[in-house]
Amino acid sequence: MARDTAQTPTIPRLRLLQGAASYSSDFTAPSLSAPFKLDEGYSDETKSQPDKELLNPSPDDVMPLPDWVHTYGEAERAELAYNLLRTLRASTVASVVERLAPLLHMDPVLKLPPEITSEIFSYLDPQTLLTASLASRAWRSRIFDSRLWRDLYIGEGWRVDIDAVRTYEQEHSGLSSPQLRKSRLRYTDPDLGEPKQKKRVPPSWLDSRATGSLDNNEAVRGNGLQAAVEADTEGNHPMSDVSNDRGTLLSAGQQSPTSSTRRESQSGSGHSKSNMQPPSTTSRRPMSSLLIRMPNGAAKINWPHLYQQRRRLEDNWAKGRFTNFQLPHPCHMEEAHQECVYAIQFTGKWLVSGSRDKTVRVWDLDTKRLWHPPLQGHSKSVLCLQFDPRPSEDIIVSGSSDKNVIIWRFSTGEKLHEIAPAHDDSVLNLRFDERYIVTCSKDKLIKVWNRQQLSPADKDYPSVFQGSGVSYPSYIVDTSEIPSPILEAEIAKNHIRTLAPYSLLMILDGHTAAVNAIQLNEDEIVSASGDRLIKVWNLRNGSCRKTVIGHEKGIACVQFDSKRIISGSNDDTVRIFDHASGAEVACLHGHANLVRTVQAGFGDPPGAEETLRLEALAVDNDFRDAQRSGTNVDLGPSALRRAGYQQNTNGSRNPRDIKALGAKIPPGGGGSQWGRIVSGSYDETIIIWKKDNEGRWVVGQKLRQAEAAANASYSNLDAAAQNTIARSKAFAQQAQQIQAAAAAAQQGQTQGPAGHGQGQQQPLPPRWPTTNPNPTEQQQGGAWPQGPVNPSSLITNHHIQNPINAHQGANRPHPPIMNPVLAAAAATHHHHPRLNRMAAVPGQPPTSRIFKLQFDAQKIICASQDPRIVGWDFAADDEDLREACQFFTGL
Amino acid sequence: MAASGNLLTFVSADNVHIEVERDVAERSLLIKNMLEDLGEATEDIPIPNVNEPVLRKVIEWCRHHKNDPPASTEDEDSRRKTTDIDEWDQKFTQVDQEMLFEIILAANYLDIKGLLDVGCKTVANMIKGKSPEEIRKTFNIQNDFTPEEEDQIRRENEWAEDR
Repeated sequence: MARDTAQTPTIPRLRLLQGAASYSSDFTAPSLSAPFKLDEGYSDETKSQPDKELLNPSPDDVMPLPDWVHTYGEAERAELAYNLLRTLRASTVASVVERLAPLLHMDPVLKLPPEITSEIFSYLDPQTLLTASLASRAWRSRIFDSRLWRDLYIGEGWRVDIDAVRTYEQEHSGLSSPQLRKSRLRYTDPDLGEPKQKKRVPPSWLDSRATGSLDNNEAVRGNGLQAAVEADTEGNHPMSDVSNDRGTLLSAGQQSPTSSTRRESQSGSGHSKSNMQPPSTTSRRPMSSLLIRMPNGAAKINWPHLYQQRRRLEDNWAKGRFTNFQLPHPCHMEEAHQECVYAIQFTGKWLVSGSRDKTVRVWDLDTKRLWHPPLQGHSKSVLCLQFDPRPSEDIIVSGSSDKNVIIWRFSTGEKLHEIAPAHDDSVLNLRFDERYIVTCSKDKLIKVWNRQQLSPADKDYPSVFQGSGVSYPSYIVDTSEIPSPILEAEIAKNHIRTLAPYSLLMILDGHTAAVNAIQLNEDEIVSASGDRLIKVWNLRNGSCRKTVIGHEKGIACVQFDSKRIISGSNDDTVRIFDHASGAEVACLHGHANLVRTVQAGFGDPPGAEETLRLEALAVDNDFRDAQRSGTNVDLGPSALRRAGYQQNTNGSRNPRDIKALGAKIPPGGGGSQWGRIVSGSYDETIIIWKKDNEGRWVVGQKLRQAEAAANASYSNLDAAAQNTIARSKAFAQQAQQIQAAAAAAQQGQTQGPAGHGQGQQQPLPPRWPTTNPNPTEQQQGGAWPQGPVNPSSLITNHHIQNPINAHQGANRPHPPIMNPVLAAAAATHHHHPRLNRMAAVPGQPPTSRIFKLQFDAQKIICASQDPRIVGWDFAADDEDLREACQFFTGL
Repeated sequence: MAASGNLLTFVSADNVHIEVERDVAERSLLIKNMLEDLGEATEDIPIPNVNEPVLRKVIEWCRHHKNDPPASTEDEDSRRKTTDIDEWDQKFTQVDQEMLFEIILAANYLDIKGLLDVGCKTVANMIKGKSPEEIRKTFNIQNDFTPEEEDQIRRENEWAEDR
């Protein structure tokens, strides 16, 4: 319907338009004339005309029409015009038609109010919007609407730290009126976190529309806009003036005083919100492009800018652009763990790590320095931990191969409590929330403990499940069997024990091998075991809700949300299961050894459940259709394999690749295109999985711990040398300087710059023992020195399938008193920084098996056999990105 | 010309009286709420912002869609927006731009969400896949950027190129 008939070049057309429009206000429907911006003078006059019905300002160059014409109705005038035109030669008619043609095309940005164009733009993707923003200044200004880009951001499935945004806005708001500030603090910002105003008109028939139709956030733009919108409701020329008014309004809200150019005033549109704006308006910004200054001095986050930065950040992930860092800072290697690191967690600026050296360490990620002296209390390896630095919680909980669990005060490092013993064997994993601590062990059991004092009348007191698989200590009473008045009386008389904090509440006994990993979410526990099973438990009463089958060997790690369960296994795969049905929806092949640690972010946009359900249904239907039409499809790979077809199970929706029907999520697990899974393996690599265009999981990046470690020491040395090493200098010269700097700093640095380590062969610093001084570690290390998990728990037949042996093809005798990390480091690591597939080299023990990783929006940090903790920072030293990252949270 | 029973009378901005069935009229939340407030509508209902041709188009749409399930207001932001338009609506929106924009304004004013969505999608589809110059042509937009500014913006937009 958009007929592109206006073929004339811009300038002549405009001149024609000027004349044509003047006539048109009489010849055509009145509203036709208004939307066109003719020239400044003319359009200003139009705006101030209250009576739009017979508006005809008759500029000097326009032929006035006789009065009687105005008495005709529309149909009559049309008939008159037609007959008049018929008196003309064809060529003249053609030129009139040409002059009229642009009248059939009108600018929605001028014709429609912002809330409607914003609705229109909400149907467009960012790329289209950016292209459209080149149409004109008015379009650009309308498109760089903060709310629009906020919705786009949220629609991508990206998360944002709303509290950080609000705090930042408040800190940078120069509000003069204390009342304003007060109200900002008291009420939540209407700009965010609340449903968009749906009500476009007030419910009452007689009310003016002006107030009701305004989105809350537009109110800050001042009264002028309100007036403009009112005008649009009162007359038949809705938008004749709004564009101009809005332009001046926007300029009033601008930060840049340099934005008034000739063109600017002509177009009447304002824009200087971000660095995406035209150069004339961005020459000097008094504040970061993170913020937009409102007319009242309030600062608002610049969502177009945030969107852009997030997009650039995601690009860095996809393309593998990062900088590396390490804990400790290379200048303070004395702060490092003495041995390999089994557990890490980070939150905000804090990271806590647990090591085979029996200590827990708290790190400041800003400085990369140790915060407390190492926390000492465990008598063997620290295998797992969780911490919560918030003042209301302020705890670290750690579990060890000494079978105990220790609760520490995070802020002071003081030991608050020890559960000794918590299990009959190594505590392999633990999770806590405000109410409970859940632990799991090589003794095949899961145990639940309370954190607060608990009386049987409390809602967090366990209920008793009459069935197998769970047992309770004798002091737990079945409150359902006692009428509540009696219960209260018994409690009052002290006949029923009130439980002290850290009492055992229940024992979940269902796995037939070590329970390697657990996760806790609301009232559910998900556990993964060497028996190849994943189990879902009810945290309230300990009953087992379901068992998920899929992996072919023991499972080392698990994670879940309300929709999926993701696990990594000794069968070298990462698998995704539908939480609701237990169906396997993806199996990711890419690692060459046990997948020890995994984290997934699916990036579900708001309202994803429905989308996922429909997608899953469509996949099921396709499968049934294929079945009916006689295609060779079958659930499960075996039948198809016989027919010569290898199922693609990484998220393909081809009916031939479907493994199970009835899932509530589609193959691959659903989520946004930005979804990401990061897995770490004993093959010494970390894989960043991403989705390809068809939504299948593919290897996006393969990161190597050893390379990261080399890069981290290099880049930090560079910084430590205080820029004495210019990046542009010759490589050899650079390396010399680094060595000199390292020597001068007495760092005990064991690695040369990346790719330059051959032949550098530095001796290990003496403070790193080459033997394990603690013989009790033999117990733990004897069977599987590189990891805390006994292979018999992970693998059913470890004589054959022990990953080390399988990998190296030789039944290597384990050296239990040898520290594998350091031995390995001494043996190979520093000789061949570029030969990163250590494990691929026959006869050489692995040196950087990944034990634990965590990622957020900006970085991955991993713990490995290396006593250093290394990280990949995808902000990659970009200032804008770094600044924006403070607001980004994961997927 | 008072309305009786299930028939209401709208009066357009240009003072034309149009009869419309109540269930059709109630596609407009504005009208629906008003009728709920007033009980029985006994008088003509002025629609001061909408002239006759536009009002007739709006009523045509409401009549066709009178049995649609009520629009849920909460799901709008929660799903990925599609610009698919059903066949009848596509034909319906094949009008000149002036009419289209006035339908959109009327739908906004009368609070007819379905019609507003169709109108906005139609405009969105007119923008999709076009170069800036084609967009300008489509909507008769005057390019007020200097070539240098345009270049600069194009460069700044590069971050969004397809991954």
